Amino acid sequence: MQLPTSERILIEAGTPLIKIYGTDAVWQIKKIAPPGAYIVADSKCADLASREVQMMAKAGASSATCLGVAPIETIDSFIEECQRFNIDSMIDMMNVESALAVLKKLKKLPDVVMLHRGVDESEFSKEKQIPYYQIKQIKGNYNVLVAVAGGDTIREVQRAILNDADIVVVWKNFYQPSSQTSQLAKSFLEEIK
Amino acid sequence: MLNPKSKYLQIAFNRSLEEVRDMIAMLPASKNILIEAGTPLVKNYGKKGIAALKNYWWEKIQRPGYIVADLKCMDRGSREVEAVAEAGASAATCLGLSPIETINEFIKECNEARIDSMVDMMNIEFPFEILQKLKKLPTIVVLHRGVDENERNKEKQIPHEQIHRIKGTYGKILISVAGGETPRDVVRTFFNDADIAVIWRSFYESPADTAALAGEFLKLVK
Repeated sequence: MQLPTSERILIEAGTPLIKIYGTDAVWQIKKIAPPGAYIVADSKCADLASREVQMMAKAGASSATCLGVAPIETIDSFIEECQRFNIDSMIDMMNVESALAVLKKLKKLPDVVMLHRGVDESEFSKEKQIPYYQIKQIKGNYNVLVAVAGGDTIREVQRAILNDADIVVVWKNFYQPSSQTSQLAKSFLEEIK
Repeated sequence: MLNPKSKYLQIAFNRSLEEVRDMIAMLPASKNILIEAGTPLVKNYGKKGIAALKNYWWEKIQRPGYIVADLKCMDRGSREVEAVAEAGASAATCLGLSPIETINEFIKECNEARIDSMVDMMNIEFPFEILQKLKKLPTIVVLHRGVDENERNKEKQIPHEQIHRIKGTYGKILISVAGGETPRDVVRTFFNDADIAVIWRSFYESPADTAALAGEFLKLVK
């Protein structure tokens, strides 16, 4: 673990990691992370929310994610279960046209709304932009935190923070361990102050 | 791999591996049964869970059986597809709600890994329109009768118009229908020209009845 110890770093168990290793991925990360580290289980729940939330919480996750394109009943059940298990609920708005429209339909608000441009999308059609304008729109209407995913350069992190995002999700540069991993994390951390 | 002239019963498993092992041992050794590693099972055990189901079913029918990994891919499909194919999956699923680029990539990855591609049309009003946008067709389209989070007694319509439209346009594609949980639902599913009926709830709720349940459902499969 080369990452600097900072309470401002959230560690995510990515979806492929979870689907390949199961909840063990969350548990193993929890074990090697500094005590008290915040672990996001990017479970991308699409149905049967209660079982998924329960297993991620038991494995030590501090939060779990649910897809914004999932049926509203599923998202409602997901948020409720997260509250029951005392973890944060994150709704991933990947491929959702209007995050606000989804939030309006929910019984309760999630803790975090994640704005996205799909990873595959950003490789195949580079013109797609992170919807920065939606950050203020959401925060102006609802008392939730906003995370921005899909941007991986220092410039994109700066832009997200300038546009009032609370959490910036990065992965591409950290996908493979390198001697620069620690330095990279430090330079991102400087940007979010 | 699947015969378009046959009908199949896909049973999804989501309990602990120990329980699933016992449940699979109770199933009749039928070539019309497809074993699904449900999404919660995959997220709980990872590819290890898929390999375990493959072994349990192999032991039961004395040859490699058909295992569906319900990945519900939404992005970064390729790594997951490769991993589950290695673990012995015969098919994997991708959400029709994902970006079209992701679905195209998913189908390509499945072809390369030589497994069947299933596109799950959960929460999609017009599945036909998604198919029209794809570069290549998936092997199987999964249609839904409703939302799992809803109460079981809610009215759940079979999407027969969608089935006919998809089959009429793309003859060779197979159709799977999820969300019908009673023998009557399964009869209707096949009557409406679907190839695969997906069930899970009764098995999940009463694992001890697995043999009787499967026997009852199998009678409906020609």
